[in-house]
Amino acid sequence: MTPVSSKLYADDVSLLMVLIDTNPYFWSSTKNTAFTFSKFLSHVLAFLNSILLLNQMNQVVVIATGYNSCNYVFDSSTSSMQRAECLLEKLEDFVDKDDSLSQENSVDGVGFSLLSGSLSMALCYIQRVFRSGPLHPQPRILCLHGSPDGPRQYVAVMNSIFSAQRSMVPIDSCIIGSQHSAFLQQASYITGGVYLKPQVSDGLFQYLSTVFATDLHSRGFLQLPRPVGVDFRASCFCHKNTIDMGYICSVCLSIFCKHHKKCSTCGSDFGEARKQEPSASDQRRKTPDLNR
Amino acid sequence: MPQVKIVARNFMDMVASLPAVKLDILYDNSFICEAILRSLPPLAKKYVLQLLYIDIPISAKSMEEWVLPDGFSKHKVSIDRLIQLRVMSETFDRKKESTYQLNPKFQFNLQKHIVHGGVLPREPMPSNITVRLPSLEELEAYAIEQWEYFLLHLISSSEAGKTTNISSSMMKIFQRGLLSQRDDREPPRLTESGFQFLLMDKNAQLWYIIREYITNAEERGVDSADLIAFLLELSFHVTGKAYNTNTLTDLQRNILRDLSDLGLVKLQQGRKESWFIPTKLATNLSISLADTTSRKQGFIVIETNFRLYAYSTSKLHCEILRLFARVEYQLPNLIVGAINKESLYKAFQNGITSEQIISFLQQNAHPRVAERIPSVPENVTDQIRLWESDLNRVEMTPAHLYDEFPSKDVFEAACDFAREYGGLLWEDSKRMHLIVKADILTEMKEFLRRQKQ
Repeated sequence: MTPVSSKLYADDVSLLMVLIDTNPYFWSSTKNTAFTFSKFLSHVLAFLNSILLLNQMNQVVVIATGYNSCNYVFDSSTSSMQRAECLLEKLEDFVDKDDSLSQENSVDGVGFSLLSGSLSMALCYIQRVFRSGPLHPQPRILCLHGSPDGPRQYVAVMNSIFSAQRSMVPIDSCIIGSQHSAFLQQASYITGGVYLKPQVSDGLFQYLSTVFATDLHSRGFLQLPRPVGVDFRASCFCHKNTIDMGYICSVCLSIFCKHHKKCSTCGSDFGEARKQEPSASDQRRKTPDLNR
Repeated sequence: MPQVKIVARNFMDMVASLPAVKLDILYDNSFICEAILRSLPPLAKKYVLQLLYIDIPISAKSMEEWVLPDGFSKHKVSIDRLIQLRVMSETFDRKKESTYQLNPKFQFNLQKHIVHGGVLPREPMPSNITVRLPSLEELEAYAIEQWEYFLLHLISSSEAGKTTNISSSMMKIFQRGLLSQRDDREPPRLTESGFQFLLMDKNAQLWYIIREYITNAEERGVDSADLIAFLLELSFHVTGKAYNTNTLTDLQRNILRDLSDLGLVKLQQGRKESWFIPTKLATNLSISLADTTSRKQGFIVIETNFRLYAYSTSKLHCEILRLFARVEYQLPNLIVGAINKESLYKAFQNGITSEQIISFLQQNAHPRVAERIPSVPENVTDQIRLWESDLNRVEMTPAHLYDEFPSKDVFEAACDFAREYGGLLWEDSKRMHLIVKADILTEMKEFLRRQKQ
């Protein structure tokens, strides 16, 4: 590879961070449908290859989001062969390792994958690229996500979203599971990315190449799916439940589902609640839009 | 003054101008499909990817729905480009509506590439056969040296010293347009475009030479499509790896010999086998062909007192600087000179423009000064421009003088008429004199005759 500094980047050169969901509990739940993990991978590999095909300077980094951990499984700038198939071996190692971590505690239901972890890893990588010099490809993040949202990760995911917004990195999300993801809806809405839940999962490659292969430059001229509705509900910090209404700390904006004497995040005293017995509607205040 | 400009534009324009039959043959080669795809504008690339797995024709109307109103002109450009390169074909269905479909060969090759992966054009040779390969730095130094020898040879065959394998007839072809020779006793002189050529950056120069090489391929009995295919294929080889020449056809081996003189490949001979090593110039070919700009390390420092220091050991650089500056002395790694009125007048007379000189100085600014803004002192750039405009104080325009108008009205009408055609140069309403460009003489005559009636 020629060093980055000697290249002059055109408008459409992109750095695509792909986060793939490898949560074994989610993929075992899709067994009955025709859409299996291997099928999913074949679509994704074709998509990654086509991104690399479009421009010799395009860069693709794949991060596997497991149940207990997440890791980089492919980086087109370091791998000697510019082929996405190289990730298969590393992916297998990763899945094995991830699996061994989870044997200790049993999981009921589908379980959640570590979205917050992989988002942070992607952002760290992008920061490194930003700091490498004045010339760099335009980064974006694509989440291929199937598992349901883990309310416990709420704070971490929101922080990642805001830091992506600050560094102007759009987060695209493609939902391969059956349920919408409120986290990713918010992520794409806030960062100006595209949120899409394909109706036919067999045609995943077509969705990926039509919508998510669009470089940031071309997004100015193309019709892309627009958000229909965004679920802005937040999780409380105390019990990690998703709530419609709750209490927020006036100092640090932490959200709680019950009244506390002291904020567990910033430690400020809330003092006594007002003496007169307030009506239920007064007591509960609506959670603010996190989309500031 | 006729403006001669060397168009070092796009390689793909050249590909597009090939006849349809040849283009279709080119698409048999998957490397060419890949290179062509990469050369397309972003939106066109996107369309190809989108249509890759669609086997039925898509109507133009539904494609228009893909774009936002703002992007419509880009959409048009992309579609035109795709049709011009025969990547997409336009057909009309029964209702006379146009539909588009990808070129089946092109589509098949790209599908294969995406699913099964591209293969390297040829396998590099194992390192136990090739004794010692040059390092990447050595290879780059070699490439630059070769290229500069070639350029020196091109400008003045006598000064180059080292001979090249490129036949003198080939050299003549390259020199055509760049040099002119009034008679045999006189050494050939650089023409205006020759000077411009020298001031272009390396990729643009390389492209110019390659273009000449391709356009003259037919005269040498080489099919230009084959040549283009080979050049593109070469750009997909890995820099610094050795490839066996056995894998090439005779024709390609001949081309390779020419290319090694240009510094695109290095040929090496082992005990039994011989091999070629592509340099950066070759592997960057398909990139630079699409985009002629690139960054490189500069060597020139200019001070506000018009003194010029060039940290270079290259004879070629010295020759180029001599085009517009007075070289005072030359040290082993430094050329010292000054820019003055006389040296610049000489350059202007040779047809070099001030903008070319300034952009050459800016592009080649030494890293120490390149960080500064502006990298070339403002007073120097201003003065270069001023000296140029000094030469163009008087401008000549062929014109006609009209007088003795019968009435003020006719005069006013004639003025308006001339103004409308953009040919009015001067008017004197008191004495009813009018000067009009010679270009619109016939229109003017016609108008005046109608006025008389």
